[in-house]
Amino acid sequence: MFEEASEVLENMLKWSFPLSLVLFLVLVCPLRAEAAHEFSVYRMQQYDLQGQTYGSRNAILNTEARTVEAEVLSRRCVMMRLADFSYEKYQKALQQSAGAVVIILPQNMSTMPQDIVQQFMELEPELVATETIVPVYFALEDEELLSIYTQTQISSSSQGSSSAAEVLLHTATANGFQMVTSGAQSKAVSDWAITSLEGRLSGAGGEDLPTIVLVAHYDSFGVAPWLSYGADSNGSGVAILLELARLFSRLYSYKRTHAGYNLLFFLSGGGKFNYQGTKRWLEDNLDHTDSSLLQDNVAFVLCLDTLGNSDNLYLHVSKPPKEGSPQHVLLKELETVVAHQHPDLKFSMVHKKINLADDTLAWEHERFGIRRLPAFTLSHLESHRSPARHSIMDMRPHVDLTKLRRNTKVIAETLARVIYNLTEKVIAIPPKHTQVQEDQLASLVDWLTAQPRAAQLLDKDSSIVNTLEYYLNHYLKDVKRHLVRADKRDPEFVFYDQLKQTMNAYRVKPAIFDLLLAFCIAAYLGVLYLAIQNFGLLYSFLRRVTAPRVKQH
Amino acid sequence: MKPSHFNSCIYVQSETRNYSKIDSGSARTFKGDAPEDFVTCSCHFKITILLDPRRINHTESSTMTLFHFGNCFSLAYFPYFITYKCSGLSEYNAFWRCVQAGATYLFVQLCKMLFLATFFPTWEGAAGVYDFVGEFMKATVDLADLLGLHLVMSRNAGKGEYKIMVAAMGWATAELIMSRCIPLWVGARGIEFDWKYIQMSFDSNISLVHYIAMAAVVWMFTRYDLPKSFRLPVTILLGLCVYKGFLMELFVHVFLLGSWTALLVKAVLTGAISLCSLFLFVTLVHSN
Repeated sequence: MFEEASEVLENMLKWSFPLSLVLFLVLVCPLRAEAAHEFSVYRMQQYDLQGQTYGSRNAILNTEARTVEAEVLSRRCVMMRLADFSYEKYQKALQQSAGAVVIILPQNMSTMPQDIVQQFMELEPELVATETIVPVYFALEDEELLSIYTQTQISSSSQGSSSAAEVLLHTATANGFQMVTSGAQSKAVSDWAITSLEGRLSGAGGEDLPTIVLVAHYDSFGVAPWLSYGADSNGSGVAILLELARLFSRLYSYKRTHAGYNLLFFLSGGGKFNYQGTKRWLEDNLDHTDSSLLQDNVAFVLCLDTLGNSDNLYLHVSKPPKEGSPQHVLLKELETVVAHQHPDLKFSMVHKKINLADDTLAWEHERFGIRRLPAFTLSHLESHRSPARHSIMDMRPHVDLTKLRRNTKVIAETLARVIYNLTEKVIAIPPKHTQVQEDQLASLVDWLTAQPRAAQLLDKDSSIVNTLEYYLNHYLKDVKRHLVRADKRDPEFVFYDQLKQTMNAYRVKPAIFDLLLAFCIAAYLGVLYLAIQNFGLLYSFLRRVTAPRVKQH
Repeated sequence: MKPSHFNSCIYVQSETRNYSKIDSGSARTFKGDAPEDFVTCSCHFKITILLDPRRINHTESSTMTLFHFGNCFSLAYFPYFITYKCSGLSEYNAFWRCVQAGATYLFVQLCKMLFLATFFPTWEGAAGVYDFVGEFMKATVDLADLLGLHLVMSRNAGKGEYKIMVAAMGWATAELIMSRCIPLWVGARGIEFDWKYIQMSFDSNISLVHYIAMAAVVWMFTRYDLPKSFRLPVTILLGLCVYKGFLMELFVHVFLLGSWTALLVKAVLTGAISLCSLFLFVTLVHSN
């Protein structure tokens, strides 16, 4: 009885086991295997500013890789290298409703020729302005990514023009790649707080002293938030502001050099998003508090924006200063200092009226100008539309330390002459301070450019904000944080998440390959079956071979 | 729209981005002025696929990876099946005896692992330097395989061929399930393609031949009527069987062989060992 049962079981298992296993497998979804290559990708900007949407709207992708030379780009991940990048190719990919675009940047940007860098810098605002549902990612190139790119390029460019035999051979040997990101769909970040920091140095002697405000925005902007280091714009401005804070706090600590001006230092956040930090700070100080330094006697507001390079210096104003006003004094002192101490520097004033019909304001001083506070912006850029202000190419090599130091000296000298009311041709700041200045500036710029400072990445607990606050606390008094949150019903700015992802590139073979393999395996198994069936032939052959030897014994 | 049909429920993406559910049904042939060719083959999956690989989207590729698993699994498993059927073991109701041989395999592997873990802790030697002596000692532990095979064969009564085949089939099938099915299941089903799964399946075929030869040599070694002139060749073959793994690693390390070349060398080596053992077996059995 047991033997019959075992026989039945044996038959059942023998026949149904492979079949049931296969059917079971079909219904189970596949696991993720190890990828050929895993790398970090950084998404293009996605934000809403004053109701208008910018940038790439989508984050997830799970598509096959192709390069631009391929004919069919729809629902494929188009990979482009920076060296071959052009706006037409990008448009072509978008028009064919590609699944995604991945732009590969070199690890070391300085290896790229300048004209390609310049061309990309000019294209960046257009890329961001084109709102698209195609996810656009940037990746830094390494060897494996480069090999994936070259393999994809070879297979993409050979797709159109080969015979059937070549296609078959190609499928057996070549690799396709499936690009998959692991994150979720991007969604708006709720309740993001943009932090700004202020600190002051009070002047000597009584009430009603005039106030000078020094402003610099500390965030950066580029086509990909995680790649925006903003060295020159506005890392240089922040470095100069912190240096001035240190310098004047030293001068104000001695009774002899304690001047009769209040100095208010303001590090604003959200500067690249239409100066949100400054806007809200002004509203709070002028509308909602009873007494504030900004409401009383403000001599002028000096905004520092992009001062790390070049031999030009521009003072941007929204209306030319009147004779006899403190603003005019500043202008004159600036001209004097430049003319006498730094003749290599070319200084001029640029007058641009505030245009409220524009989407965004040009310079930071315009925020103050709207609230009737006299303000200027000092920059080495002539136009606010310059691509250097919004580029991911703006990295540490863009800041020239000697020029930064020279600009710091100019500004420090000018301010000193204004607040101490100097008229002679005297150097206000003695040279023994300058060596420390250079080291300080170098370390500040190095620290600022070591990590990306896009506004979407710096929340109120980020290390950059904390370090800035600590630094200001060291030299200034009454250091306060100021938070800006977007209005719930009509938000001025909306940020989105999923800005940094891990992308996996899986090696895949086309479906025809599996069929080919199945045919080959079936042929092999058939040959094996025949061989085993005819094993007896080999056996009898060996027997015949050994038999005569036995007979000889 | 160019449809693809599957027996299981798969969603197909059409040009207008509507997803239509294809139920299991008969395979439709697409008529009309379609420029591509269709390949229809009736197998378990009833697949209709275009020759243009660019049309296959992700859903289809996930079933393709199951297909790849099926390929590897059939490549590994079918020779065992064929051998079982053609060697006449099914007539002797040898199924449970093979299962017992498989259980003995598991037991022997467990003992070997315990022994290795106790007496061979991980060396602190320099990384990258191939530890010849250590690996040699570890390979010596594989002598337990021979003992296990001998145990299985001694418990089965019957002709020499029957004993050898039962022991070898059970042993090799247990090794197939234990050491190859899980990696295939986990790895070959994934999106990522790797040649190592096909190589693993070929390796299981070679293992089958290897275990048959090993069982035959063990059987011959324990025969009381083994002629004196046979002792030496049988012992040499026995040693080769046990240290074959070690020799293969040595070759790969010294000559820096690629994976396909190593597989070929392994197949040739196993073929040589099995031919020699078959020759000796035939001589022994028919010399009486």
